[in-house]
Amino acid sequence: MTFSSIKINTTMSLFIFLAFLIVLFSFTSEHFLSPYNITSLLTNLSFSGIAAIVLTPIIISRGLDISIGGVIGLTTVVVSALYSQTDPLPTWLILIIGLGTGAIVGMINGWCITALDMDPIITTLGAMAIARGLAYVISDSQSILMFEDTTDFISNGTILYIPIPIIIFLITAIFFSILLHKSKFGRAIYAIGANETSANLSGIAVKKTKMILYVMCGIAASVSGIILLGQTSVGMPQHGIGTELEVITAVLLGGTALSGGKGTIYGTIAGVLILGVLFNGLTISGVRYVHLQIFQGILLLVAVATYEIKTRNEVAR
Amino acid sequence: MKPTLLKMSHISKSYPGVKAVNDVSIDLHAGEVLGLMGENGAGKSTLIKLLAGAEIMDLGEVFIDEKKVDINSPKSSQENGVSVIYQELITMDTLSVAENIFVGQLPVNKNTKLIDWKTAEQKSSEVLSLLNSDINPKSIVGTLSIYEKQIVEVAKAIHKNARVLVMDEPTAALSEKDSKSLFKVIDSLKKQGVGIIYISHRIEEVFNITDRISVMRDGLLIGTKKTKSADKKEIISMMIGRELNQFFPEIKSEKKGVMLKVSNLNIDGIIENINFEVNKGEIVGLFGLVGSGCLNIARSLVGVDEIDQGEIYINGKQIAINTPKSAMQNKIGFIPIDRKHEGLTLDFSVKQNLSLQSLERLGSGFMIQESVENSIAEKWVKKLEIKTPTIEVQVKNLSGGNQQKIVLGKTLETNPEILVVVEPTRGVDVGAKMDIYKMLENLCKEGVAIVLVSTDVPEVLSISHRVLVVSTGKIRKEFKKGEANQQDLLYEASLS
Repeated sequence: MTFSSIKINTTMSLFIFLAFLIVLFSFTSEHFLSPYNITSLLTNLSFSGIAAIVLTPIIISRGLDISIGGVIGLTTVVVSALYSQTDPLPTWLILIIGLGTGAIVGMINGWCITALDMDPIITTLGAMAIARGLAYVISDSQSILMFEDTTDFISNGTILYIPIPIIIFLITAIFFSILLHKSKFGRAIYAIGANETSANLSGIAVKKTKMILYVMCGIAASVSGIILLGQTSVGMPQHGIGTELEVITAVLLGGTALSGGKGTIYGTIAGVLILGVLFNGLTISGVRYVHLQIFQGILLLVAVATYEIKTRNEVAR
Repeated sequence: MKPTLLKMSHISKSYPGVKAVNDVSIDLHAGEVLGLMGENGAGKSTLIKLLAGAEIMDLGEVFIDEKKVDINSPKSSQENGVSVIYQELITMDTLSVAENIFVGQLPVNKNTKLIDWKTAEQKSSEVLSLLNSDINPKSIVGTLSIYEKQIVEVAKAIHKNARVLVMDEPTAALSEKDSKSLFKVIDSLKKQGVGIIYISHRIEEVFNITDRISVMRDGLLIGTKKTKSADKKEIISMMIGRELNQFFPEIKSEKKGVMLKVSNLNIDGIIENINFEVNKGEIVGLFGLVGSGCLNIARSLVGVDEIDQGEIYINGKQIAINTPKSAMQNKIGFIPIDRKHEGLTLDFSVKQNLSLQSLERLGSGFMIQESVENSIAEKWVKKLEIKTPTIEVQVKNLSGGNQQKIVLGKTLETNPEILVVVEPTRGVDVGAKMDIYKMLENLCKEGVAIVLVSTDVPEVLSISHRVLVVSTGKIRKEFKKGEANQQDLLYEASLS
């Protein structure tokens, strides 16, 4: 069996599971398939979906970024705080600074992981705490209201009836699927994740590649933060708490292996959709949010267990 | 003659496809040092594992004090007084010396039921002083030198009343001074009546410290000689056995000027003042025993090992190599020693492996152009006669020989002018071996300068135009083709 046929099979089974969920929820709730619910479902999942797409290459390179939630919170606070100054900078500049926030956190992550050879989990765990802490300091633990046309448009506007967040999600997905599956950079990412020693000996710039990945992930988290800010019209340090868990669950559910070298953007899209449909379907079927948390945890464990069982079978063969 | 302490009689052990140990019998007397020699894969390690109970023998019997004993686990081996000190020391580095020596049986105070550290440390000191060592029993083992760790292991063995002590390449990582101290320890153990089986590739020291020498080859015991009456070259030829045969191609050297010049290369404590030149179309072999520094010389040429001092010139121009990428940019190709972990990406397809070193050339811009990648892969599959169903197959499903050809192909795709090759035919079947030699021959004809690091004696002698013998980090001797036979080469390499 070849590498590519395994990928298709795994992803296909995920989409079959997704179809099953959709049919199931269309029976349990009459509202599930309404245009309004579908649109809101997709808009909501775009927010974490963007981060999941960009986290996928990191996990394929055998890394991890759990600072995503912290960066989201920090970005909402930075942007709203800058806007609420008496004489604010132009909005475009504020937004660039917002994206720069994530880029800087990503750069620090990348530097620790490549130059100091630190463990990605610990590094980004630390970064998460620092970003979240900074958000509390800057906002003085307060919510900062922000009613502004550009961010409102980014989060709530539509082009040809399609909400902008969905468009951003789709563009990100298409861009990264080409990057990962068709480009030289993408091939380098798989090579690093599958065998870093041989990648290095093959002349691949391992450190530079990793650095770029963490910076991109930071920027993606800031994009998610800006969307969240527009949706809620408020910047606050609590924004994005738990998002990293949701995002990691989606990526792993999509078949990307924590041990590196394996995974696809299609798989992550399936993971994001399954998670989104499951949450939405359960919510409108009357399940409480606190219970959803339990479902999410179980799903994460199931995703990892499935992977472990699969690899064990491969080894046994 | 002293009584027989240990007798291993008609021992056999097979693994799928190989008889690792085949009807081997050895004996050991109290107070005797028996040297065990043989090339890599001769069966020494397996024999020791059987004695240690780490593997179970298929056939054969073991006698201690002329009484038959059953050895079927590490525990039963230790209970019969056998202790093995492996080359990779298995000390518990985060614990103290006393804890290591008393592992699992620390003394307990009768009243408090707590560990009696005072007794443990005092007894440890006693054992250590028997070994002329003043290591503090309270020291954390991880902070000790390799020699001191070995002494801790010996102390542990003595404390367990070991009567048969096996030492596997104990001096491989020791300085000359520490080696001498170790020999003194061995001497005092002998006087205490301990029997020692001493495994080493270093022929000088084996001749200095052993009473008898047993030589193994291809799983068989070739013979046992009294050290006093044995001759070094005789022992070496017992180890090698096979003669140079026909299947090495005659590779003509086409000297067309110096391609690579290495000047005064140093890595502190590892290699020292390395100077050599390689001409276009010439194969220069580097030969040395494990730990000699050969591998480090090769690795420093391709930007894996960092050099502390020295210059590398290509075509007379000095270049700086600090990463594998910069080596590639300077047209130096590398075939690493371990194809599974260094050479290949096992989960990648044949095609993806063959193109990995040439990623930047797989299309003009950002994207991989599939037609370019396919043609690269198909070219090498054909040229190197790689046996694979398609170029989409994962390389982990291919045989060792075909995997090695892929490593060769991916490097050659970068058109290297200098090729550093480490153990190119290890674990490769005869047919693939021939193909690889043929490829090296063609490269020579094309004017590529080749540095070959190999511990395969017949190979390095037959393929190289010159052989540089490396030992303890220095080039000790240079042989031109035909100047040396296998005995000479091994003899020079075992000097230090």
